[in-house]
Amino acid sequence: MSVLAEVSGNVTAIGYGLAAIGPGIGVGIIFGQGVQAIARQPEAYGLIRQNMLLGFVLTEALALIGLVAPFLFANL
Amino acid sequence: MITLTAPAHGDGEFTAPTPNELFDLAPIIPGVEWFTKPVLLAVLSAIIVIGLTWAAFSKPKLVPRGMQNVVEYGYMFVRDQVARPFLGKDADRFMGLLLTLFFLVLVWNLMGVVPIAQFPVASHIAFPAVLAISIYVLKIYLGIKHQGAGGYFKNMMFPPGLPKPIYLLLSPIEFLSNMIIAPFTHAVRLFANMFAGHMLLAFFSMVGFWFLFEKLTPLGAGVGVVGVVMTIIFTGFEIFIQFLQAFLFAMLASMYIGGSLHAEH
Amino acid sequence: MWSIPSYLLAGMAIYGGIGWLLDRWLDTSAFFPIGTVLGLVLAGYLAYRKFSR
Repeated sequence: MSVLAEVSGNVTAIGYGLAAIGPGIGVGIIFGQGVQAIARQPEAYGLIRQNMLLGFVLTEALALIGLVAPFLFANL
Repeated sequence: MITLTAPAHGDGEFTAPTPNELFDLAPIIPGVEWFTKPVLLAVLSAIIVIGLTWAAFSKPKLVPRGMQNVVEYGYMFVRDQVARPFLGKDADRFMGLLLTLFFLVLVWNLMGVVPIAQFPVASHIAFPAVLAISIYVLKIYLGIKHQGAGGYFKNMMFPPGLPKPIYLLLSPIEFLSNMIIAPFTHAVRLFANMFAGHMLLAFFSMVGFWFLFEKLTPLGAGVGVVGVVMTIIFTGFEIFIQFLQAFLFAMLASMYIGGSLHAEH
Repeated sequence: MWSIPSYLLAGMAIYGGIGWLLDRWLDTSAFFPIGTVLGLVLAGYLAYRKFSR
């Protein structure tokens, strides 16, 4: 079986690039829906902001784990 | 024109511009090693900013006319969007600094799309780093002066409203984030945006030039036209990003200064 | 608001660093990921408590 295609260079950079797709879409959805909710009911701004922040922190954590993953799994 | 694109001749094939040939520029006066194009552009943008504000505000009139009218728009923008939201009543003290930061970074960035001088000065890490480090030193100095040496670090690391035992676990995080990561991201945000934008513009214009002028083939001409169109679109997008990054740099500087004047709540 | 990713990164760096040092001292290889995840959780908690009250 011969090699058909080959990726050379730093694979971790590709890994991080792929890992940033999901959280990117997730954060976009969170803040998009948050802005819509504020537009519908401006009195609820405090409540909406609290939940937006919570969702953002949890989603961003995945992107940052993707950034650190090459170091975490280097010796495993 | 030929000498500007000579590095792209990868023995007959199209090669993308590498960072070395884009950012390692030769000295202009052969012999004076440090006077390269970025240095010339930095000095030029400093002269432009000084000249602009001098022409506008050297003899201020109550009803503004001409140059003063135009630059006052910029002043009002910086005062209402950057200074007042974070500094409140201390805004007037720091207007000089924030105005200088905003206009200087804006002219630096705009140098990247002006036709002869196409080099965004902030894409050498030294320029944003100097500004970010000076804001960092100012932040610590103001924090210690206004809240006392121990009080500044106490207010920063132990925000009120958290259950007591968690303070021990969370204070190193607060300290590291505020003291070390903040100036680093302040500089790197500007640098990375300008660096990536410059690389993208160079790549697309190289595509356009190569496929339309260097090796004109019937199939390649379409790619060349796409390259030119993308260059035009990206230049427009890049101007918007440059303005946004200048605004963001000034706003973060104002936020850091405001955070050390009154304690974080 | 603007510094939430920097809180998360700082938490991961500190507790990941502590975990790494523990690994070197005890010759294990598990404390580093545990420390990193723990730092992430703590920093997330700090960001939540600080910015939404």
